Amino acid sequence: MSGMKPANQKAELLLDAAQAGHVQEVVTMESIAGCATTFDPGWEVDPFGGIASLCQPMEADLYGCSDPCWWPAQVPDTLNTYPNWDAGAPSAQNDWRELDAVFPKK
Amino acid sequence: MTTAKRRYDKSGHLRFGILLALAALVATAPRAAQTPSGAQALQAACGACHRPDGPGRLARISAVRKTPEGWVMTIFRMQHVHGLKLSDAQRDALVRYLADTQGLAPSEAKPARFALERRPNVPDLELPGNLQTMCARCHSAARIALQRRDAGEWLKNVNWHLAQWPTIEYQQNARDRHWWRTASTVVPAELGKLFPLHTESWRIWQHHKAVDLGGRWLVHGHRPGRGDYWGTADITRGGDGDYRAAYRLTDEHGTATDGASHAIVYTGYEWRGTAKLGTLDTHEVFAASADGSTLSGRWFIADHPEIGADWTAVRAATQPQIVAVSPDSIRIGSRARIVVFGSHLGGKISFGPGTHARLIARSADRLEIEVAVDSAAHPGYRTVRVGRASDARSIALYDRVDRLEVTPAYAIARLGGGRIDPVSAQFDAVAYEDIAAADGKTRALRLGSLPVAWSVAPFNEEAVRDRDVDYAGHIDAFGQFMPAGAGPNPQRKFSADNTGNLFVVATLKAQAHPAASAKPVVGKAHLIVTVQRWNTPPIY
Repeated sequence: MSGMKPANQKAELLLDAAQAGHVQEVVTMESIAGCATTFDPGWEVDPFGGIASLCQPMEADLYGCSDPCWWPAQVPDTLNTYPNWDAGAPSAQNDWRELDAVFPKK
Repeated sequence: MTTAKRRYDKSGHLRFGILLALAALVATAPRAAQTPSGAQALQAACGACHRPDGPGRLARISAVRKTPEGWVMTIFRMQHVHGLKLSDAQRDALVRYLADTQGLAPSEAKPARFALERRPNVPDLELPGNLQTMCARCHSAARIALQRRDAGEWLKNVNWHLAQWPTIEYQQNARDRHWWRTASTVVPAELGKLFPLHTESWRIWQHHKAVDLGGRWLVHGHRPGRGDYWGTADITRGGDGDYRAAYRLTDEHGTATDGASHAIVYTGYEWRGTAKLGTLDTHEVFAASADGSTLSGRWFIADHPEIGADWTAVRAATQPQIVAVSPDSIRIGSRARIVVFGSHLGGKISFGPGTHARLIARSADRLEIEVAVDSAAHPGYRTVRVGRASDARSIALYDRVDRLEVTPAYAIARLGGGRIDPVSAQFDAVAYEDIAAADGKTRALRLGSLPVAWSVAPFNEEAVRDRDVDYAGHIDAFGQFMPAGAGPNPQRKFSADNTGNLFVVATLKAQAHPAASAKPVVGKAHLIVTVQRWNTPPIY
């Protein structure tokens, strides 16, 4: 890092952490079959293998996922495939109990 | 945390750390539903949109091979997206016909059977080239590995993805790379090479004669958290070609369960049963071996595929055979009651050096034996012998427990509520003794499941701060983690959902300890309690 100076407070903190040996090693991510883990963040798990970076609560932004086909393997997309999935549930935060699975059980 | 990875190399061979050649098929066979009525039904249902593509062929459809579950998903998509109208009976007949005539050979389906068996928390296949990042970021790699097409047909599948989910370009960072060029040229070529339509395995499999699976079978299995079970299955084939099975099972705690199943065998080996086991409604995903001598796979609770058990059935033999021995281990210096399950079991009983066996009870297919192990016996495996029946079954003698391995090592559970059921996570703990071998190395002695107490703990500082242990759910005495309710929780920061990042901890109970060992023996796994999913096809 010689010759480079931190430009802001966050960079200073990162530099301090690196010098103190507190920056975690890069670890290979384990992926369970059927989980989307890589898009910013994943649906189930964040890029660090935890949950701290997931959107919380998920319901606050759920329709921001279903409308533009984000995580379509987990969240039904209302753009093309399941346009009526959220019908009758205008607020995900209040109406999430009404949202049903899209694949028939039988 | 290490996990065995199943990798495909670029030439399409599956590697398990070392290369395993995909076994050439010496097979039994499908050919059940290759009847004119199947072809006519396909033409009637699909011919209005899919143009003829040669004699007996329909465009697109004839260019694909899939599992029964894969065809179920395709037909559902045709119904839902393209307005195809079918009765349930018509749909079922199409699935049979397509799986029989355009299915996967056993060796082709084998690497990704875990997905068909709905096994939870299995690390996904690792695909070579661009396929991991281009395909398996959204859905499982197994879903691809269970299909066969040529490159041109794979390209049409890519086109369909982009049309149906157009934001895929943005999600895949198309602004910063030549995403479409890769998606439309490199990816279909890689897929066509790895998973082509025409294979020698499928060609051979199509010419093998079906084996009737009717008869008496001896069954054994392990249900994580609940232990071993064994029993009989009486299978008969009906005039309609379907199978009916009657089960009489007993678990290691002595609980008897009867069951009945109605099963369809697709592609000559893919057993799919709908069953009642005691009070449980279950589904069965088994594979018959090529010679029809074994039937193995997994059954699971119909509404909760994450809960189920391994299942292995072998044909009841006319000569002595040992099918299962339970439990897996005995502590040195103690006595234990051991069940040996099999057929035609008679004659001298031996558990090897340092043991004394005494028959307590005998039934047609089961011996109950009290085994006393000398205090001076050496730890290690012993071969179990009953009269002329001796096979690879063994039992471990141990003098201490060094460690517990909790499986799965990494798992997810999902919150549930409203119309969506929670998805629990089932853990199992296997004990080991590490024995110093003569060559200076340590040899692991597998002791099987021993009594443990289950608990959870925060995985990291964030989990401590957010009190994940208090909110995310609880684990029961059988190692099943039951997630909490879904939805925003106003008691949490930002009204967060009841997600959690936890350790699952198994602690060996005192009765499994030898007196000399006072140190607690614990094993840990990592559990993510996460949000629900609403897209729930049979193959993720």
